[in-house]
Amino acid sequence: MEPFLNILISGILLGGIYSLVSIGLNLIFGVVRIVNFAQGELVMLAMYATFFCFAKFGIGPYYAVFLVAPLMFVVGLAVQRLVLQPLQNEPMMQIFATFGLLILFENSVLAITRGEGYSLTGSYSSVVIDVFGLKASMTRVIVFIAASAIALGLMLFLSRTMAGKAIRAVIQDRQSARLMGINVERTYLLTFGLGSALAGVAGALLAPIYTLSPYIGGNFILPAFAVVVLGGLGSVPGAYLGGLAVGLMEGFAGYYVDPVLKQAIWFIIFVVVLVVRPSGLMGQAGAEEVGLREQT
Amino acid sequence: MTAPQQAFAAQPDSFGLMLGRYAGLLALSALPLVLLWSNPYWVNILAYTYLFAALAAAWNIIGGFGGQFSLGHGVFFAIGAYAVARLYLDLGLTPWLAIFPAAALATVVALLVSWPTFRLRGPFFAIATMAINEACFALANYSDRVTGGPRGILIPFRAAFANMIFIERWKYALLMFAFMSIVVLITVALRRGRLGHYLLAVRADEDAARAAGIDVLKVKLQGMALSALLTGIGGGLFAMYVRVLDPPSLFSLPDIGVKFALISLIGGIGTIIGPVIGALLIVPLENFLRGALGGDIPGGHLIILGAVLVVASLFLKRGVVGAVLVITRRIRQRGRR
Amino acid sequence: MTERFLAVERVTRRFAGLVAVDGVSFSMDRGDILSLIGPNGAGKTTLFNLITGQLKPSEGTIVFRNERIDQFPPYARAQRGMGRTFQIAKPLTGMTTRENVMVGAFMRHRAHADAFAHASAVLAEVGLTARAEVPAAELTLSERRRLEVARALALEPDLILLDEVMAGLNATEVTQVIELIHRLNARGMTFLVIEHNLKVVRAFSRRVIVLHHGAKIAEGSAADVLSDPQVVTAYLGKKHLAGHA
Repeated sequence: MEPFLNILISGILLGGIYSLVSIGLNLIFGVVRIVNFAQGELVMLAMYATFFCFAKFGIGPYYAVFLVAPLMFVVGLAVQRLVLQPLQNEPMMQIFATFGLLILFENSVLAITRGEGYSLTGSYSSVVIDVFGLKASMTRVIVFIAASAIALGLMLFLSRTMAGKAIRAVIQDRQSARLMGINVERTYLLTFGLGSALAGVAGALLAPIYTLSPYIGGNFILPAFAVVVLGGLGSVPGAYLGGLAVGLMEGFAGYYVDPVLKQAIWFIIFVVVLVVRPSGLMGQAGAEEVGLREQT
Repeated sequence: MTAPQQAFAAQPDSFGLMLGRYAGLLALSALPLVLLWSNPYWVNILAYTYLFAALAAAWNIIGGFGGQFSLGHGVFFAIGAYAVARLYLDLGLTPWLAIFPAAALATVVALLVSWPTFRLRGPFFAIATMAINEACFALANYSDRVTGGPRGILIPFRAAFANMIFIERWKYALLMFAFMSIVVLITVALRRGRLGHYLLAVRADEDAARAAGIDVLKVKLQGMALSALLTGIGGGLFAMYVRVLDPPSLFSLPDIGVKFALISLIGGIGTIIGPVIGALLIVPLENFLRGALGGDIPGGHLIILGAVLVVASLFLKRGVVGAVLVITRRIRQRGRR
Repeated sequence: MTERFLAVERVTRRFAGLVAVDGVSFSMDRGDILSLIGPNGAGKTTLFNLITGQLKPSEGTIVFRNERIDQFPPYARAQRGMGRTFQIAKPLTGMTTRENVMVGAFMRHRAHADAFAHASAVLAEVGLTARAEVPAAELTLSERRRLEVARALALEPDLILLDEVMAGLNATEVTQVIELIHRLNARGMTFLVIEHNLKVVRAFSRRVIVLHHGAKIAEGSAADVLSDPQVVTAYLGKKHLAGHA
């Protein structure tokens, strides 16, 4: 029983990480309808920014997050305004552009850091707490709690505030929202900024867990896409639960099936979900429009 | 309303004329090889240039004409490379023949993975193909017996025509040039024929295509099959040229999977000669940058590549060929006034 | 035995609680020109989509040329002789006007030269020969409409469905399209037409069907249908009923 429980806990905690990373991506997908291949890189940039705060100014990541998140918000605004807005109606060019950003960010960081591996983990990873009698790393538990809090906060934001309702309107039907006087372009900017800020939070909170590398963004992008597909476009609870599900799936696959083969999991998830339930667990209407699946 | 007689006066360009035109352009692209055949540095670059032009042209069939942005072509490339290597090393089969079963295997795999993923539109298809690439990368690292695992396969140097291993480098460049020419001429025939028109229709508007009697899934699969087949052959040729095959090189997206798409973009997506022009621009440039920057700035050449991708997608969507066509049209219009 | 050319029987289509098409039945013989009219949102385009295959019916059957087709995908119905235009003209970008028509022509003419010749003939029929080599994206609205029709004609269909093909055209252009329809009908082509312009409907339809809230509320000659009080109410509201002759 014990290995099972261990995997369960670690799978859920891993799921917390994926939820945190994916919530921003899901929002962007649902609203701006853009595939952002550079989302993982935004997390990576935030991780390095967090490390910088720690190494240069001695600011711990759990404080630095309040600096890094707004920084990433601004970066997100810039990317949306300069690169993505002009490409609104050209999905293929969006793929090129965001992939270009991926390569650009990855290698810029590589050039700046000269490939040195930085790590915050030493100071934090030793703290271990008890969860139902099993050991779990404090840093991961914090991520899980943060992911849950953010998911909750975001759901409240989307349902209670004007800006949030505007976002939900655009998710459901961009044309109608425009006709009702919602400034769709401004909503896009806000959403991309918000999604990037969330990536910033993820990066700051993940910095104590992973050894930094310019390529670490790539580790998140496929699971993040899998979460979006599984959880459903534009659905915050979907992204949260989807993240947990994906984390669990990866955990169990890694243990019961060969760990190397767990990379194949993403493709299997995509295909199975898209064949069985194209709108995901909790997808909003309009998912088919983005083209998860063809309608009959 | 125009007189009916005019309609029947229109005749299609003869196929021979079209082939002739492109053969001429291809001959032009051979010029660098003719001039530099004795310079090993340049010949090496040209070999890569012609090979990647061919691979980009193959990608262009489904990515450019068909509008299906595949990030998974590295898989077909790798299958071709590994299969030829294994057939040559284990069965002593000459690569000249081995490329065919290798390409067939790549095609079968392509059809198997495309059949479910073609249900996805645009960006989601791209994501799924990226997932396939990652999955196959993991598989290649895992299957020691077939692929040599992470360390890969080494093909010993035994020069002989039958082994497709040459002492003189220019012979490789010539081989790649021949392959590129074949792929381009296949593209000419494709574009002109039914499948080419159907692929373009599917790219433009799937609903309109269906209403015009097109079985969209079948057309996508046919385009993908042809594309994967040619990519597999390219992988086989690559294997005999570099003779060192390992998963990180073969499955790297910036170096392989995305490179095919990038070359097509720069040259002109959905055009016939675009991939050739794109390769002639990108491959030498990248080599130069890698040499100039690579030592001082790790990843420097990729920074430029990434920037090029972003800028091109914003300002050079139709590629060089597209830009040239726009300019010539403007000149012609001014000439008429 | 006479052929059941088109028989739509109790066709219904629901979208999660909304009934877009409600038990509609009608039939057509070869050579008919049938107009489908009704206020906005009546379900006309949905009915088209059910007939040509973009949607499948929730209930009911559709028979075309003695074959039950309601489960067939759109391309199969096109191959069996159905052509259609879309309300928003969809020129295939990245190709010239002629190539657009060739896309249709290739269905029955596999060789390039044959498809080219056939497409050229169709272009002449709709008056687009002068624009044959122009990229389809550069056509004007009226030219795009004609291209839509041309691409459908290139399929050599037995039945052609036109979805508001006159919208946005000027009087001359409308006359040209009506002439085209009559010319083709004289050669045996059957037409099912959605049209808002009631003058046009009177001009060429032999029969008219009226849809309202997804159901068929009237069927008959143009004159009969357009003076039917139910139809007037549907279009203009109850107020106008009293004043109608």
